[in-house]
Amino acid sequence: MIGDVRVVADAAGGCHLFGNCGFPAPGLQNFSFKPLFSVGSFHFTKPMLIAVLCTVIVIAFFWAAFRKPKLVPRGVQNLGELGILAVRDQILRPALGRKGDVYLPFLVSLFFYIFLMNLMELIPVFEFPSMSRIGFVVPLAAMVYILYLYLGFKNQGAWGYVSNMWPRGVPWPIYIILIPVELLRFFIIQPFTLGIRLFANMFAGHLLLAIFIAATWYLASFTIGLLFAAGSAVMVLFVFLLELLVDLLQAFIFTTLTATYIASSLEAQH
Amino acid sequence: MAADVNGTGRVTRPTADDAAARALGLSTGWTVFSYLIAGMAAYGIIGWGIGKAVHAEWPFPVGMIVGLAISVGFIIYRYGRQGSLEPRDAGPARVERDDR
Repeated sequence: MIGDVRVVADAAGGCHLFGNCGFPAPGLQNFSFKPLFSVGSFHFTKPMLIAVLCTVIVIAFFWAAFRKPKLVPRGVQNLGELGILAVRDQILRPALGRKGDVYLPFLVSLFFYIFLMNLMELIPVFEFPSMSRIGFVVPLAAMVYILYLYLGFKNQGAWGYVSNMWPRGVPWPIYIILIPVELLRFFIIQPFTLGIRLFANMFAGHLLLAIFIAATWYLASFTIGLLFAAGSAVMVLFVFLLELLVDLLQAFIFTTLTATYIASSLEAQH
Repeated sequence: MAADVNGTGRVTRPTADDAAARALGLSTGWTVFSYLIAGMAAYGIIGWGIGKAVHAEWPFPVGMIVGLAISVGFIIYRYGRQGSLEPRDAGPARVERDDR
């Protein structure tokens, strides 16, 4: 957040209320970063650092929790079990039942990785959700969708899987009409919506936070503008709390949809 | 906590059925949304191709509208009937109550 103010301030060249230079609206410049370091043509940026850090934190947390598991959990194991049981009971079992427990490590990793990546937008110093860059979301959505297709072909067979894609009990002329719709939905739109929702929510949330933070800074002065700055500061707090909810919700939705995709791959639905 | 959907004034703890219904609803919601977009996109592309072939612009929007109509019709056929979202014998809705 402080970073946003700095970026906006830099972009506006120190622009302020009564400065006759207008409101320095946040925009795409808030999502671009100078490389921290470069190796040839490869540039390592802040969002990449956050992604690596989140991976390390998730691995380290669960390693610490279950390195030496006790029958009666204590300390960090308690927290780890709480997280795993939440994913199991609220996401995995409603979709897959008990036979889906084999996918628990995958779904737990996915949920906590996405949640932590989203949460980084609210943590000082980091102040950026890497999921608001589509390049971080597409590989996740692709990974889930490739798993979805693989499990479908493996469990139902190639012909069974393709035939199960089509609705049953529909007159054959309707099939011809539905072929382009089903193909596009199955191979393009469904994975696209899976990823784009996460990306768009994080992008919009970060922009919203940046706008109110910039407005607070822009309006702060010893004039009537101070009242507006205070109003904007209240909105910062409100959006901050909203984003906390959105961060959790987006991780939950992505993981729940992954679980339901896996469920529909394992057994045909008509 | 589960919402007071029955209007009884009592808010209850979420059950496995609540979670299953939520998963099914979420999945169905996004599938329906995907159908709407896919219908418009698929027939929009076909219309655009026809428009290119006959050097006209109208097949593109007409294709999109036709695609949307097909999607809406199919969504009503598949999901609009009573009981179409009832738990089936397989897939997202199945809950094993004694799992916990």
